[in-house]
Amino acid sequence: MVLWSRLKSLFRNLFHRRAVEEDLDDEVRTYVEMLAAENEAAGVAPVEARRRALAEFGGAEHLKQTVREKRTGTMLESIGQDLRLGVRQLFKSPGFGVTVIATLALSIGITTAVFSVLYAMLVRPLPYRDVSQIVALDTRSAGGGSQAASYPEYLDWRRMSHSFSALAGYKLAGTVGLESTSGPVVLREVQGTDNFFDVFGVNPIIGRTFAAGEDADGKNDVVVLSYEVWRQDFGGSDSAVGQQVKMDGSEYTVIGVMPAGFRFPINVANAVYIPLHLSMSQRQNRGNHWLYTVARLKSAVLPKQAEADLTTIFAALGKGDTFNAGRTVAAVDLTTFTVGSSAGSLWLLLYAVGAVLAIGCVNVAGLLLARGVKREREMALRSAIGAPRLRIVRQLVTEAVVFAVVGAAGGVVLAFGLLRVIRLLLIAALSRGAEVGVNLPTLAAALAISVAVTVIAALIPGLRLSGTSPTLALKAGGSAGSSRGQNRLRTGFVVTQVALALALLLVSGLLLHMLQGLRSTQLGFSADRMLTVEVNLPRGRYQGRDVLADFYNPLVDKIGALPGVRAVGLIQMLPVQGWGWNSEHIHIMGTPPLKSPRTDPAEVRFVSAGYYQVFEDRLVEGRLQDPSIDRPTTRLVTVVNEAFVKKFIPAGRDPVGMEIGDDGQTDTLASQQNPRALIVGVVKNLRQTIYQPPMPEMDYLIAQVPEKESLNALGSMHLVMRTAVDPTSFVPALRRVFHEVDQTVPMQEPVTMQQVIADVLTFERLENWLFGAFAAMAVILAIVGLYGLITHEVELSTREIGIRLALGASRSKIFLGIFRRVGWMLAAGIAIGLLVTTAAQRFIGAVVAIEIQKDGLLMAALAAALLGIGFAATLLPARRAASVEPMEALRDE
Amino acid sequence: MGSSHTNILQGTLDLLILKALRPGELHGLGVSRRIEQMTHGTFQVKPGSLFPALHRMEENGWLASYWGESENNRRAKFYRLTKVGERQLGEETQQWQKIALAMTNALKST
Repeated sequence: MVLWSRLKSLFRNLFHRRAVEEDLDDEVRTYVEMLAAENEAAGVAPVEARRRALAEFGGAEHLKQTVREKRTGTMLESIGQDLRLGVRQLFKSPGFGVTVIATLALSIGITTAVFSVLYAMLVRPLPYRDVSQIVALDTRSAGGGSQAASYPEYLDWRRMSHSFSALAGYKLAGTVGLESTSGPVVLREVQGTDNFFDVFGVNPIIGRTFAAGEDADGKNDVVVLSYEVWRQDFGGSDSAVGQQVKMDGSEYTVIGVMPAGFRFPINVANAVYIPLHLSMSQRQNRGNHWLYTVARLKSAVLPKQAEADLTTIFAALGKGDTFNAGRTVAAVDLTTFTVGSSAGSLWLLLYAVGAVLAIGCVNVAGLLLARGVKREREMALRSAIGAPRLRIVRQLVTEAVVFAVVGAAGGVVLAFGLLRVIRLLLIAALSRGAEVGVNLPTLAAALAISVAVTVIAALIPGLRLSGTSPTLALKAGGSAGSSRGQNRLRTGFVVTQVALALALLLVSGLLLHMLQGLRSTQLGFSADRMLTVEVNLPRGRYQGRDVLADFYNPLVDKIGALPGVRAVGLIQMLPVQGWGWNSEHIHIMGTPPLKSPRTDPAEVRFVSAGYYQVFEDRLVEGRLQDPSIDRPTTRLVTVVNEAFVKKFIPAGRDPVGMEIGDDGQTDTLASQQNPRALIVGVVKNLRQTIYQPPMPEMDYLIAQVPEKESLNALGSMHLVMRTAVDPTSFVPALRRVFHEVDQTVPMQEPVTMQQVIADVLTFERLENWLFGAFAAMAVILAIVGLYGLITHEVELSTREIGIRLALGASRSKIFLGIFRRVGWMLAAGIAIGLLVTTAAQRFIGAVVAIEIQKDGLLMAALAAALLGIGFAATLLPARRAASVEPMEALRDE
Repeated sequence: MGSSHTNILQGTLDLLILKALRPGELHGLGVSRRIEQMTHGTFQVKPGSLFPALHRMEENGWLASYWGESENNRRAKFYRLTKVGERQLGEETQQWQKIALAMTNALKST
């Protein structure tokens, strides 16, 4: 009842304000008139009667104010006033307002965007059932090198282990060409064992997944579509299941469709899943390690127990098997497996974001505190003429809230925009790039933190001011804000900002340095004017055919004949982009026999003669392969790189003429007829992967690949060409040539070698881009903060400076005095920043290593630059201080 | 105005106003005069306390107001008790009697 009546009053008070006021006026007036009438009736003269009535009534305005304050909604109304005042203040000093708001917006926006990325990458669960039960088996050889399973091994593991409810093998077979109604489409192909889907516990939305035994030859021409493929290439129709499709020339039956979001490996989009298709050698060769394994643990089995289980099996299998002894395994939980090496960088980004948020908050706090001090006298005055303490504090807070709200709104917009940009960059770089969205709890947290900081920073001077007696504050005049405590606080702010800004600057500087190093690294070749395209032969179509005569030779000949093409060649793994096709059992004839299974692998490459013309000028010794000498029927020859020589050839011996041994199950292409490979030449190193120094490598000529292995080894190749002019201008011609040679072979998008390198470095670029942005922002914020705080300090000490000038101090002395003070603060900040960076080495180390002797100069330069920037920010306020007119300053204050 | 007038105890003003309006509607000055009369001149309510009290009680829904004609044909704002106000009067009267009795007993004891 009371509530209802109050609500009615509130409505009236707020929306019919004028009527309410007039009513009150009327009531007061009629009251006085009645009093006067009473007096008159008692016989007093009219004028005197009215005077007495007014006197009895008392102060009408005061009374009205008392009534107003009792009204419901007074609070709202005065908050409205504060708000209006706050907005007016904002427009009165736009520089200050814009600085605070921009700082808030940047802090909130960036924090949210990067946190959202981290959440999606590191925290959000993977799209499988009971992810914690799924492990990827990281199997390694005795030497510690990563080594997948061979198919016979896999069967043994599966048969002998007790820890798994499903142990599946899978193979990334790269791409597959689907003959869809609208022409050939290139899809990603994942081959798995029959129990592949059992590991993930995800059911298809239509149809079924692989049945037991469906990975056997003759039964395995079935395909499960990913949701994307089903939508894009099958129109999302239910009738897709049961349909016959042609992929790479072979017939497959569609048996099922997976739900949206299911992917394995997680970064493989547009995938089709088919049961394993094995070559004879893959099926039987225990030394042919190519099958990756992933498994679901039985409930209540821990990864450690599974590891122990497998280790026992490995030991049993290793007995009497020199090449598989000593294998180790780690059961890596799938989340770790997926996030993998990007985790370190992402955490580092998190720290960087934290630092930027901290700088932003310190900045806002510093600015608001400084402003609070500046307004000390305004507040004192208001307090002196009777404004209640609460009211003053509330006004300050309301003003801060105006800043905070506008800043927060900017932050939200920025967060969404920034995330959109990051997402574009991430899709290529990170396994879960496409799934990143703004994380609302994070946004809320960032908003809460920055708004809280803003309000608290506004509240502190407010509370302090309203606590001091007005006369004291008014009297203190010139010395406003010069108390020791405030001085220390300001110094602390400057030092913190400089330290954090330097730490960010250093890390981003080092990263940039590293990236540049990687980019122009001793790749071993020049990437200019090189075009490359991946070729995947349709297996069904080329089974049992001579792939060289029927496809590669005509292709290379025709491309080589194009005007402007300087060289064209083939290699099965593109330098910089891929590695890991290797042979583990290298024995050089005439050197001491292998003690135990040798564990140092050498990369194996199959190349055409033209390859050496594209990656030119590399021969160091001996000769290169020559198709006119080295034929399928002649002696097996190989060209090795310098890293190979260094690793396997005893010092002082001439590698040319030596033979790589016949230890059996190796990938050296050695065969019954051709037991040893003769080293005919040595070439300069080039990097197989951008992140590691060159590895030992043996190159074989594609013409010498035995026919039964040819589709296996040469089914997927990279065509590389070096051109005289812009390589991208050859794309149409390339397309035409492909079409002429075999129109059923889908052509992938050709890319320049520069692009390949850039793509490999996408994550590094992103990281740098973000870090660069952070560092730049940190520096800008630090400048703003420094400038604001120093300006503030100069303003506060104008009177003191005036007195000193009046007493005869020289202007240059004032000028230098300010610089000395700032210099100390900057020096302290830089010292702490260096310490912080060094201390954070443990976290940073995962991403970029600091080597003092190498990076010392860079670090010193960055610190010096920051010092310079700090002094530059001081220049303007210091000059203003030095140009103070003593008389004016004293009068002003 | 003199010191012979006792200050109104905090909280009793509401009760006095409610009581004054019990017999019928009154304008502001009327309320003031009625209280004076009821208390035999012990309490004189000044506009400075009367106005805020009347407005507050109206917002609480205890009183209702309207503009009308005074006894000597002057326009004046009249207040009357609402149903809620009557209930309030009952409650406050009871409470006051309890307090008064307690105080009397307390002061009588030796």
